Amino acid sequence: MYDMSLLKPLKLIRIARRAGVVTVRYPYQPPLITDEFRGRIVIDAKKCIGCGACVNVCPSNALTLIDDGDKRILNYFIGRCIYCGRCADVCPVNAITISKEFELATDKIENLNSRVVHQKSTCCSCGEERVATEKMISYVVSRVPVSEAYAHMGSNCRKRRFVEGLMLGRGMLHVETEK
Amino acid sequence: MSKQRNELLEALKALKKSVWVFHLNTGSCNACDIEILDVLTPYFDVERFGIKLVASPRHADLVLLTGPITRKTLPKVVNTLRAVPRPRLVLAIGACAVGGGIWYDSYSVIGGVEALKKVLEENGVEIDKLVYVPGCPARPEAIIYGVAVLLGLVKPKVKAEVIEAK
Repeated sequence: MYDMSLLKPLKLIRIARRAGVVTVRYPYQPPLITDEFRGRIVIDAKKCIGCGACVNVCPSNALTLIDDGDKRILNYFIGRCIYCGRCADVCPVNAITISKEFELATDKIENLNSRVVHQKSTCCSCGEERVATEKMISYVVSRVPVSEAYAHMGSNCRKRRFVEGLMLGRGMLHVETEK
Repeated sequence: MSKQRNELLEALKALKKSVWVFHLNTGSCNACDIEILDVLTPYFDVERFGIKLVASPRHADLVLLTGPITRKTLPKVVNTLRAVPRPRLVLAIGACAVGGGIWYDSYSVIGGVEALKKVLEENGVEIDKLVYVPGCPARPEAIIYGVAVLLGLVKPKVKAEVIEAK
């Protein structure tokens, strides 16, 4: 009788040859990325109007709006993003695109923040109240039949103007005219 | 491609020893854990880089931390990290570990590694190097890239951007 256990390695070689090499040579070979793959989002600062629609739908609040004086900052923290792509769906000006980028590892957490800084416009009546971003107002004026002066007016000034008009009509307010 | 490969081989020479990793789940949904298992399978086969999974934190160089760190697991996480010998390396994998994910403000989690750093400081446990790997879940390639960043083989691509909207 022959000892069959000696021939076992030969058997293994046959099985291994049938399977072939399955390991991907990742660092030297591009990774397998399908069309459906969603990586980090990229915000086009030229298109973005700072409306905050993406901030409303973001499930993990990776996108946040920070109001800082005369600036409105749209902050995107990649570290918390779950790559759902809702922001890209909801963006009215298609400023957000989903990229295929996924090699995002870093040793500094500050590197995971990307910001778009918007300039806020002031109320044309009182000159103090900050209304919205300049680009958002011009977007609204181009879409809705309102005058640019009215769009630039803050909510308090709009209320005051309405009440003043009402009172003038009923003779409760007398406009002082210079003599 | 050959130039890139030569650069990588040069960088690998700097690495004296293999990296042994310990997998620490701190309340994650298991998606990142499955991706870590993918990395260890013959398909991605990180043992060709010397990365090997060990069962005890006392044998490990690197801790693969997944999950948003629930309050229940917090003492165990601190104990585990204390058991890791110096240099103590940590790889925070996935959106939960990096920034808390969708649970960042939940009552039952402490909200990722940033909050854990403070707890570790109070308990006198130092982390020598910490690398963040975002992704939900992080792709196996992203985890391999994260280890390469941690070992200094590649420079991180992502940078903080501040763009003025005009």
